[in-house]
Amino acid sequence: MYPEKLNQIIELFESLPDAEKRELLISYASAAMKQGPRDGDTFDLEDERKDEECTDTVGVFLQVSPQRACAFRIKLGPQVQTLTKAMTAILCKGLEGLTPEQIMEVPADFVPKIVGADLVRQRSQTVYYILTRMKGIARVWLNRERSAAPHRA
Amino acid sequence: MSEKNYAHPEALVSTEWVAAHLADPHLRIVESNEDILLYDTGHIQGSVHIDWRSDLQDQTIRDYINPQQFAALCERNGISNDTTVIFYGDKSNWWACYALWVFRLFGHTKVKIMDGGREKWVAEQRHLTRAVPHFVHGHYTAPETRSDSEIRAFYDQALAQSRAGMALIDVRSPAEFRGEVTHMPEYPQEGVLRGGHIPGAASVPWKMAVKDDSTFKDISELRQIYEDEAGLKPGQDVVAYCRIGERSSHTWFVLTYLLGYKNVRNYDGSWTEWGNRVGAPIERS
Repeated sequence: MYPEKLNQIIELFESLPDAEKRELLISYASAAMKQGPRDGDTFDLEDERKDEECTDTVGVFLQVSPQRACAFRIKLGPQVQTLTKAMTAILCKGLEGLTPEQIMEVPADFVPKIVGADLVRQRSQTVYYILTRMKGIARVWLNRERSAAPHRA
Repeated sequence: MSEKNYAHPEALVSTEWVAAHLADPHLRIVESNEDILLYDTGHIQGSVHIDWRSDLQDQTIRDYINPQQFAALCERNGISNDTTVIFYGDKSNWWACYALWVFRLFGHTKVKIMDGGREKWVAEQRHLTRAVPHFVHGHYTAPETRSDSEIRAFYDQALAQSRAGMALIDVRSPAEFRGEVTHMPEYPQEGVLRGGHIPGAASVPWKMAVKDDSTFKDISELRQIYEDEAGLKPGQDVVAYCRIGERSSHTWFVLTYLLGYKNVRNYDGSWTEWGNRVGAPIERS
């Protein structure tokens, strides 16, 4: 149902009691800043903007290999909340190597399994935001690919 | 805080003061944040976390917890009726002021704010720990009722205040006040159908009360903002509101403790109630 790498993360979270889930979220959040673009990186698409749904600017950078494998880089503004940081690191790792089509098909119902139903209920906009942005840039990439394809009679 | 000539300087403590009183058994330091995991990433040694939503609000009805639930919350955080509670948090102490205001609803008057909040503590590179403290349960005698009538305003009271031409302070951003947006800039939308403000309200964004380092401005600057510019007068009944009551808690704290106004109420239903309510009058300007 879920992509393999993401599923491994989901299963890890599901095996943990709530207190340890929080610890793991903090651990992922602390790794979020490493997900930003690095010197020399080139991308097919870059989308850096401030949305209503998030407390600071988020940049999403997508590179798609000739084999159609996606690699994401995500740059977070300093006011981004801890849950958003955690989801950034989780999704960069969990969705790495998927095709744009597979990215679009990732169901959002894994989020409560990772962060717990309570946190989703309390801060729902925060936890879904990064996945929405990643799907958004994948959709743009697919649209451009379709536009560039030769028309068939 | 006496050098700033506040009406109740005892309601504020500095980061230095907190750092020097970490081991005081008569105090409990409470962190209250917008970012729900921020406490878990590191907090002031000995502080406990109280979340505005999961700890202070009823989880079914839009209202606050009852007195028995409040007493239980205090006891499990090692707070007794005579404990002095020091609040601090992110967002220039929005949620810290909100939590303090809720504590006041239950009659807990030994409350203070750490001036500058979490931002100042972190900017000063003071120590943060991830160790969660454990306390002996406090002994908290629950008040018989919540004192909603003194410092809290409901829709009907805000409407009466508006119709009577009495002081209403809208502490949201200017664009929210004008009805151009229904949420604060750079912040999540939280579902309001109509934009604008309560007729007769004056716009005084909460942020006017703080400096760049998140500490409160001194008394002369506050008087200029709230009295010379917004037209408030000491002794007036004032109702403050925002979107869900958190920014207006901040202004409620300023008016009550720093300027010494005696009759200030926070309309916590705020714009998410007013802007969605059928038939509520709205002004746009």
